Amino acid sequence: MLRISGLAVGYGGEPVLDGIDLEVAAGEFATLGGPSGSGKTSILRVVAGLLEPLRGTVELDVGSRDVGFLFQDDALLPWRTARQNVALGLRIRDVAQARADEQADGWLQMMGLAGYGDRYPGQLSGGQRKRVAIAQVLALRPRLLLMDEPFAALDAIVRTRITQELLEWVERERLTVLLVTHDLEEAISASDVVHVLGHGPRAAIRASHRVGIPRPRRVLEARGHPAFGPLLRRLWEDLAAERMPEPAPS
Amino acid sequence: MKGWRRSPPVRRAAALLSLLAVWEAASRAGLLDPFYAPPPSAVAGVLFDLAAGGDLWPHLAATAAAAFAGLLVGLVLGIALGFAAALAPLVADLLEPVMILLNAIPRVILAPLFVIWLGIGLASKLALATILVAVLIFFAVYNGFREVDRRLVERVRTLGGGRRVLIREVYVPSVTSWVLGSFRVAVGFAFTGAVVGEFVASSRGLGYLLQFAQSTYNAALTIALIVLIMAVVLLLFACAERLERRLLRWR
Repeated sequence: MLRISGLAVGYGGEPVLDGIDLEVAAGEFATLGGPSGSGKTSILRVVAGLLEPLRGTVELDVGSRDVGFLFQDDALLPWRTARQNVALGLRIRDVAQARADEQADGWLQMMGLAGYGDRYPGQLSGGQRKRVAIAQVLALRPRLLLMDEPFAALDAIVRTRITQELLEWVERERLTVLLVTHDLEEAISASDVVHVLGHGPRAAIRASHRVGIPRPRRVLEARGHPAFGPLLRRLWEDLAAERMPEPAPS
Repeated sequence: MKGWRRSPPVRRAAALLSLLAVWEAASRAGLLDPFYAPPPSAVAGVLFDLAAGGDLWPHLAATAAAAFAGLLVGLVLGIALGFAAALAPLVADLLEPVMILLNAIPRVILAPLFVIWLGIGLASKLALATILVAVLIFFAVYNGFREVDRRLVERVRTLGGGRRVLIREVYVPSVTSWVLGSFRVAVGFAFTGAVVGEFVASSRGLGYLLQFAQSTYNAALTIALIVLIMAVVLLLFACAERLERRLLRWR
């Protein structure tokens, strides 16, 4: 579905990431974990076409219209209602106004926001705005979903609930997902494979681990699975080793 | 029962009335020279005579016409130039230094020049009001464009929006909220431009009356005109605020 090879990303010509090779198979839920500031987000931005890489290529098996991007913040157009925000992508794809509104209402209902269509983002809570943002992206029926720490700002209860809802949708649609997070527990409980990114500058992917927990999953149960603890420890070790200075070549 | 005593508008009105009462009492007690500080009752009398005698209306109309026309032309010009500068770097390079200069100086100093160029009629007042408003609005539009929320731009781009959609969905609403934020100031500027223009050289308008009152040392008329201009501008502020609330109801 997605192949990244030899990717280097940086600002002002100085690479933050270098030599990134990453493959995400169709239907796979892949997570990119790593310390803050390691440039994880930049990889997603390159895939979404928001950032030009310094080097390297990104190959997609689907068109750019089939790629959905769920951002870290829940910035919606403040001057548009929840319904108009969800309908926006559909309108861009030339869906007629009435039909777009109807579909938007359907998505809001599915996100538990029936009756909130006429509210402006400023009148919604953080969790509600996040649900509108999810509806806005899912309404376009993406095949590949890019997510950048989408639930970082939410409290634990809302976060678990929304993650669970999203996982169910991913299962139903057989979506391919590339999630970026620094939360290792979230990474393990949601994904098939976790790629750990090292520290910059010139960070590369340090290790990749398969998650031996069968899908479909329930977020809370996944944390109780026997494979969860050992994998979490290994990921911690990967990151801890990453903080040590590189051994001098002998 | 005592709730109204705590309401800010009631308290402000009470404060204003007490001030006027003290002023009136001081005048009647002979503590203030009526030549310099005529009592409020005298000022009210002058205002009443002006309005009742019908002398006021052509002057008010002249000032209002210059101010409204200047506001309108200034808005259109400021918005057009602001968008042009935001969309075309070449235009920005050309306009920005001029606008920064015009923004830095007290623009009313241009009034004598406009009188020389355009005569003492409506045109010179309109020009002054226009330039006061246009520079303000230019920066509102230009900054609104540049300070647009990058997250929203990226959001719309990942939803598949191109340049046209971005301008319609992100830039125009963002700029609108900036322009509305400056709108009340613009209304005030338009009146400043009209009145100052009349003050410098004219044959009618509130500024002309003010100039006349001053040259005849008529303090009552001067104060009456100041009060009148204040009232008109406050009324327009209230209208502008309603418009702002209507257009920015998403806030």
